[in-house]
Amino acid sequence: MKKFFSIGLVRGLAWQILGTALGIGFVTLVRLLLRLPAWKAEPAVVFGALIGALFFLYGVGVMDGWLKQASGEEAHDELDDTHLGWRRYFGASLDHKVIGIQYLAFSLSLMLTGGTFALIFRTELAEVQMQFLSLNQYNTLMSLHGMIMIVSILLGIAAFMNYLVPLLIGARDMAFPRLNSFSFWIAVPAGLILLSSLLLGGVDTGWTGYPPLSARAPLGMQMFFLGVSLAGFSSILGGLNLIVTIVRMRAKGMTPFKMPIFVWAALATSLITLTATQLIGLSFQMVMFQRLFGMGFFDPSKGGNPVLFQHLFWFYSHPAVYVFVLPGLGLISELLPVFVRKPLFGYKWVAMSSIAIAMVGFLVWAHHMFTSGMAEYLRVPFMYSTLLVAVPTGVKFFSWVGTAWRGKISFDVPMLFLLAGIFVFLFGGLTGPPNATISTDLHLQDTYYIVGHFHDTMYGGYIFPFFAAIFYWFPKMTGKRLNEKLGKLQFWLIAPSFTIMSLLMMRIGLLGMRRRIADYDPAMGFQPYHFIMTVMGFITALGVLVFLINLFITLKRGKSAPGNIWNSRSPEWQAPSPMPVHNYDKPLEVVGEPYDYGLPGSRFVKFEGEE
Amino acid sequence: MAEKPHTPSYRLGVFVFLLLAFLTALEFVLSLWLNVWQLLALVAVIKAGLVLYYYMHIYRLFVSDPEADHESYVYKLATNRMGLWLFFISDLFLFGGLMIARFNLLQLTHPDLNQVVGLIVTGVLLLSSFFANRGETAMARGDRKQFLISIGVTMLLGILFLVGVIGVEWQIAPFGPGDGVQGAIFYSMTGFHAFHVLTGVVFLFIVLRNGLRDRYSAEKHWGVEACVVYWHFVDVVWVFFFPALYLIGKVFGS
Repeated sequence: MKKFFSIGLVRGLAWQILGTALGIGFVTLVRLLLRLPAWKAEPAVVFGALIGALFFLYGVGVMDGWLKQASGEEAHDELDDTHLGWRRYFGASLDHKVIGIQYLAFSLSLMLTGGTFALIFRTELAEVQMQFLSLNQYNTLMSLHGMIMIVSILLGIAAFMNYLVPLLIGARDMAFPRLNSFSFWIAVPAGLILLSSLLLGGVDTGWTGYPPLSARAPLGMQMFFLGVSLAGFSSILGGLNLIVTIVRMRAKGMTPFKMPIFVWAALATSLITLTATQLIGLSFQMVMFQRLFGMGFFDPSKGGNPVLFQHLFWFYSHPAVYVFVLPGLGLISELLPVFVRKPLFGYKWVAMSSIAIAMVGFLVWAHHMFTSGMAEYLRVPFMYSTLLVAVPTGVKFFSWVGTAWRGKISFDVPMLFLLAGIFVFLFGGLTGPPNATISTDLHLQDTYYIVGHFHDTMYGGYIFPFFAAIFYWFPKMTGKRLNEKLGKLQFWLIAPSFTIMSLLMMRIGLLGMRRRIADYDPAMGFQPYHFIMTVMGFITALGVLVFLINLFITLKRGKSAPGNIWNSRSPEWQAPSPMPVHNYDKPLEVVGEPYDYGLPGSRFVKFEGEE
Repeated sequence: MAEKPHTPSYRLGVFVFLLLAFLTALEFVLSLWLNVWQLLALVAVIKAGLVLYYYMHIYRLFVSDPEADHESYVYKLATNRMGLWLFFISDLFLFGGLMIARFNLLQLTHPDLNQVVGLIVTGVLLLSSFFANRGETAMARGDRKQFLISIGVTMLLGILFLVGVIGVEWQIAPFGPGDGVQGAIFYSMTGFHAFHVLTGVVFLFIVLRNGLRDRYSAEKHWGVEACVVYWHFVDVVWVFFFPALYLIGKVFGS
């Protein structure tokens, strides 16, 4: 029993339950003292959930270092290498590699949850009329599918940025290891709170949570808002940490234009998460306050303005899609040269295009609101700023094509996923401008065309590069190589079925299928399409299942792969696999260009004392 | 360390404080006689600039030695500073969002509030900033007694500010949080700010307690610096919130 409670996660959960109970009790007690009716669910549960999250952070031990410092003791950022068992993955660790893997595991489990939700309501859609879900259940699953996937993507990119950035720049760890640990662990209670909305009446607004609907949705809505706000802290603090790490911790000789391209992508992403995330938190908290204290921000009867919510919300939520895809696009640029054995084409342009996408991304939010009744003169500038995003994105495509051109391409599993990423992201990218153009958007707004478009950008910009990265760096994380045959099977299950699904989504969207609705008119003739999409959805899920089996088998009895199996120039592959606890034995120095593949005798880094 | 060629001076702090006090009085008078929001914004920007430069030492961000050893104290100090300032930038987006909501909903009017209380709490916060700066200066000069007194006074003034806003202003305001948009805006803006002041008071308390245990030295006192700079940051937010809540335009609905 004592051993069981020595696991950080278990202690955290126990404390969270305690904290939630105390918070609920506290509100009830205060109401009793104020001679109000003692039990009112909404304030009690919201306060309880908040206190529960804080107690979780205390219980898991992630604040120990700060509390020690606050009480005047010395607290070191030094790594404790005595506990190297599986247990360290379930407690607060300061090692960026452990934290990266924790992010990865949590992200995958959330993704499985969100994917399961999608399968459930996808099955409901296969046939007209409602079969086994109530309307509220459909809405809840559909809304939570969106938000859980978003959180899982945020955690997934954080996984790779945490694991890779310090390795790629030759640092011992992140700039603020304790903050790094905090950023991860706050996402855990946030995820649990978000999921708890399932049990508290559900969420029926879609992932955007627009008032006035969200101001009178069931109690689950509050958990949804609170969970996302807390997950926002993870994103903000993670971004802060990454920026400081990239600016301050680079190895000797690594000037900005010698950084690996993924580091540039991480920097661009972090600039967005650091700043814009505050505004989704604020907009959600304003709705929470409207519900809790009657504050009339978005209530027209009190002089409020519902469109204000949309401005605040999209100021984050549009740049957020660049947060999701920039690291993935960075991964494509990072890995493509390895598999085509050629230098990256136009390195500086690719580096700058990430920053440009991030910057332009701040100026485009109102293109989500062309039909929202915002001032008409605002539409045209937002249309042009949105179309401008295509330029730096085009630079990336040009670079990928130029890199692959006449290369010695080897079709390992990571390369297959990279190619699928490029292919599907091209679909996602080309279907974007029609949504940015006002005249066509007035027709496309809120149809399945949009759903198809953003699923293509998410799969091309995140899911496929993410799988490529897992296959590529799994040997670095564990010392074992994932099974190539199962990898190829997974690829051929997911890539075609997903592509068919998203193209059909766009097809019926153009014909007038509304998004977010639980049922549709049989006379529209969409039923066969929906049936095919459901089948494709299940095939995609089968591919994910193959991936899980692959993970399990490889961890149990995979082939060991200690060396530089991809023949990469990157510094982390010059070190043994799995990566030693303190990263590099000796400080490294940059002596060449990062992507000079195929140039005889050239190298990117050398270690101290090496010739 | 390039930034310490001379001993930090108490006199500079006094001078900046007097200038800030004058500007605060000026904006108050301006709002009564010549209520042009551009002028009020200009005064607020000048005040914020003074605090950023003289009290928050923004220039320290740009003083660092790129050749320094990554494990050295000097290098880590500069890294910590960068982290703190990035946090400020992030937080500014939160307060900026509140300001956007405020101007969207109230436009160029302000909530119906007691001007005297507003001026007093603003003065209290300004005075606390002066003492916070004095505390940091004293620590940098190695004057431990002066440091402890100043930090203690800062903390008490911070508590007084909270009492002024929550204990007085919230109680005497003629509207509650649910009464129209002026209630929503006023209670959310002061609430978010008061929460930051509260965390600042806790931070000051921790620094005071560690100071009593002699944990800081003239050379190594990042904890003191971080706390004081954070305190000034919260003050800068109020530099903009004060005119936005009390001074700009006519009373809402009049």
